[in-house]
Formats: sequence, structure tokens, C-alpha cells
Amino acid sequence: MKNRVGSSGQPSRGEALAPFWAIVQADLGGLFRSRITYGWLLAAVFIQVVRTLGSRSAGTTSSVVPSGLSDFVYIWSLVIIGLAASSVSSEAGELADSIMSKSVTRLDYVLAKFASRIAYTLICFSLVTAVLVGLTLRLEVGDYDALGLTSAVLLIALTLVTLTTLGVGLSIAMPNTVMAIVTLLVLWYAMTILFPVVGLDPLSPGSVLGELPGIVRGAWSWGESETVAGFVAISGVSTALSSAYFHLKDI
Amino acid sequence: MGQRVIEMENLTKIFGEKLIAVNNLNFAVEEGAIFGFLGPNGAGKTTAIRLLLGLIRPTAGEVKVFGEKMTPGSSSLRRRMGYLPTNPRFPPKMTPIKYLDFVGILFRLGREERVKRLSTLIRSVGLLGDSSREIAGFSTGMVTRLGLAAALMNDPELLILDEPTSGLDPNGRMSTLELIAELGKEKTIFVSSHILSDIDRICTDVGVLSEGKGIFSGSIKDMKKRTRSHVVRLELEGDVRKFCEALKPAKWVVGFETRGDYGVDITFASELPMADAVREATDLASRQGLDLISVSSSTSSIEDAFMELLRDEESRGFLRAT
Repeated sequence: MKNRVGSSGQPSRGEALAPFWAIVQADLGGLFRSRITYGWLLAAVFIQVVRTLGSRSAGTTSSVVPSGLSDFVYIWSLVIIGLAASSVSSEAGELADSIMSKSVTRLDYVLAKFASRIAYTLICFSLVTAVLVGLTLRLEVGDYDALGLTSAVLLIALTLVTLTTLGVGLSIAMPNTVMAIVTLLVLWYAMTILFPVVGLDPLSPGSVLGELPGIVRGAWSWGESETVAGFVAISGVSTALSSAYFHLKDI
Repeated sequence: MGQRVIEMENLTKIFGEKLIAVNNLNFAVEEGAIFGFLGPNGAGKTTAIRLLLGLIRPTAGEVKVFGEKMTPGSSSLRRRMGYLPTNPRFPPKMTPIKYLDFVGILFRLGREERVKRLSTLIRSVGLLGDSSREIAGFSTGMVTRLGLAAALMNDPELLILDEPTSGLDPNGRMSTLELIAELGKEKTIFVSSHILSDIDRICTDVGVLSEGKGIFSGSIKDMKKRTRSHVVRLELEGDVRKFCEALKPAKWVVGFETRGDYGVDITFASELPMADAVREATDLASRQGLDLISVSSSTSSIEDAFMELLRDEESRGFLRAT
């Protein structure tokens, strides 16, 4: 019997990572070819341009940038929720046939899904935010601190990464895509609106938005560090738990 | 005896503590065999295949492939296997070239090898003209052919085909069977089907599954032999009644029954070999001036053998219940 690859034939590191990169590329390729992405980017850039030009006479960087970033938490989070929470469950039929029956480990697949959806969120966020920040710095009163402005953008990026990991995690745990989307919607808006009411301000995207003008001006407080730690922890736990669950589940 | 490529040992899968899909299955497939995995719809064939690929975990027992235990993490074992699912589903926005290249990367093939294999395979399965069309617009036959190409992308030692002729027109079915027979010359093939004539045509060995349980495993010849009775079936042109009259005094005949206008089933004495019984019957027909249209053992078809096995299993189940 031929024995080209067996327990003794360990693939090189490049070979070992090939399935992971192939899944990431295929997933990102599919996302960036979709009309949803084009529509989202066009609408988001258009709104940022209108906002910046509209506040030209009276706006400041510390008011316009947080206002532009809030779109991601309140409006564009819907797109992220839809795409993240359907990432695994929507391809349940193809999953076994076209991917998992090949030489792919479950960890390859699940980590590739997290990586591609996070990369997609960050690329779209970066493109729209680059327009917002670029126009604001050119047109508005510059009451900002460079490090503060960068921190504010990165804090919202982290918030969206947390939303994406929660979405992919739910998509792994729930076989029904609609159920996963609804659950994430409820969770996200509960975090945004209800968490401050029950004293969980650091984990509330709504509270983070309230702090953004100060952060842009350079006022970083202990509360923001708690938020960073909280969102990193939520993302890590969500990724670890859903990966462990996917490893055990029948597909 | 060849090396065992697949070994299922007391393999059991229960879904949600309710449905016993596979029940204490014990099958072995040797290297170089074309193993037919037979069973009616819902018998548990696809579940057994998913266990074989490590897509689901057994509730009890184990399955070994190439002598190693198959688990969801056994990607190195899957690297030596090709799989064609029933009615396969592939990424609809990809083209065959893109999809086969993707599959090649999943199998960790180098770029040069991928390009070489995918161009050969696309031509072999007749998809060259559609190689840059999106899979979304493909017919069932085209998707199956693409699935077969994907299953062969890594040049596997073991090929697992789940109902490969399902949804194909007669032409497609025939060419798929020919391709499987051709591939069987250099690979071990595990092919599931409920189409008995397909199995009879291409397989060397067979395993029969009924309600999740293995009820037979062996060569096709053994399966037919096991259910052989002492009946020879003739189809004749001429006066069949005259032939039946001539059968009555014959010592080797235990009984007979007419089948329609030109068929007769003759039950012969058990000590008489089948070949002698056929010779006696055809000689008699010839002496009576009848032309022979066909002659067969009434249980020589795999259909009869299969039905007999299922009936046996059903009656055993009934006895166990009483």
C-alpha cells in the first residue's frame, strides 16, 4: 500500500497552514464580491462625506469623528451582525461536502472563519474611517490629540471585532442562521442600551461612544482600559468556546 | 489476504439518544477491492460513510482507515481519501477551475501539481466547456461529475462514493460506472448504492446494511450462493404446456410453475448440481421442439439475493421480538 502521508509524514509549516489560508481567501473573496459589501461601503462613505461637509462651519474633530464612528455601533453593526452570524451556519450543506471531507482540521476551518470575518470587518471599517478622519482633519477645527484620535478609532475597531467574534461564535453554536442573527441582535443592543443601566458601562458600546470626544482630545481613563480588557476577554472566550464546541460537534 | 484499508468494529451511532442510525456494524474492506455498500434508503449508509470520514463521532465502537483510528482530527488520513457525496453541494459562486484549485490547496498540493491535475480531471469528466461557468448554473449530472473530479484531485488511495449514479441519466450512469470500474484497477473503492444492478456490475465485494445493522459481508458470488435455491428459470418459444407435460415424469424434477405465457420455473432435486439441471431442462425443451429464449437460476440475480437477505433479517427480528 502506498504510504505517502501518514502519521510519520508531517507536513511543513507552510503546507500545514495552506488549508487555513485557502479558506480565508475563499471567504474574503466571496464577501468582497458580494453586493452587500459594495452597497455598505458606498452608503457609509457617502454618509461620512455628507456629515463632514455639513458640519464644515461649526464642527470640531472631537465631535465629528465620534459622530461618524457611532454609525458603526448603531447602524452598520446590522451588516456585521448579518454577515458574522451567518458565516458558518449558512454553509452547513457545503461544509461537509466541499471542505471538511478534505485534509482540513476543524481548527483550521474555524480559525479561518474567525480570521476572514474579522479581517473583512476591519478592512471595511478602515476604508470608511479613513474617509471620515481624512476629511475631518482637513475641514474641521483640529481640537484633537493624535494619540487620542488613534485610540478612539482603535477602540471602535476592537468593539466591532468583539461583535464579529460573537457573531461567528453564535453561527458555530446555532445551526439555524436566523436564530443566530436574532440572538446576536438582541445581545448587541442589550449591551449597547441596557448594560449602562445595570452598571456594566465598560462593556457597553453605547457608553464607549459617550467617552469618545474626550478620548479624541487625549483624555484616556481607567474606564477605557477596562473596556479594552473586557472586549478582549469577550472575544477570546467566544473564540475559544465556539472552537471547542465545533471540535466536538457532528457535521 | 490483502491489507485491510477499512475496518469497522462494533461501530454504532445514535443521534440524540433516539435514532439508532448505525448499529454495531462490523465490516472490513481489503486493499484493491471495489466494495459495494448496499442497503435500502434510510438503512444508515450515509451515516456510516460520515463516520468513515470522521465528520461525525461514533457513539460506540470505532472505524479504522489504513490501520489508524479515524477521528475528526485525522486530516492526514483524509489526505489519502477521496469522497463523492450524494447530490454534492459546492460553493455556488466558484467555477470548476477555482473549486478544484481550492480543493487542491485543502489537500496541500503544490501549484504545479494542482494545475496539472485539475486540467486533466476537468477534461476527463467532460467539463472543459463549462470550466469557467459558475457552479450555481450546473445540472445534477454536471455537479456529480465535478464532485468526482474533486474526489480524485488528491489521487487518493481510497475512494468513497455515496450513491454516485443518483440523479444521472442512463448515459451518465453508464459512463460513471465504467469510470469507477477503471479506477478500481488501481484504487480501493467503497461505493454505496441502493441500485443493485450497479453494484453487481462493478463490485468485487459487498456489505449489506438493513436498519443500521450489517446483515452480510463477503464477495458478490458468496452473497448469491448463500441464497441459492434449486430453481432454474426458462423462457421458451413454442408450446409451453407440452413442455410442462414432459416435465411431469422426469425424476430430477421436484416441481414446476409457469410464469406468464413463455416462462417456467423448475424446482430440481437438491443433490443435482445446477449445471446438470440446466442441461436436463434445455435438452428436454429441445426434444419437445421449443426454442430457448433465456435460461437463468431464479436466484442468480443480486436483487433476489438482496431481498432474501432482507427477508431473513426481518423474520429474525420478528422472532427476537416474540
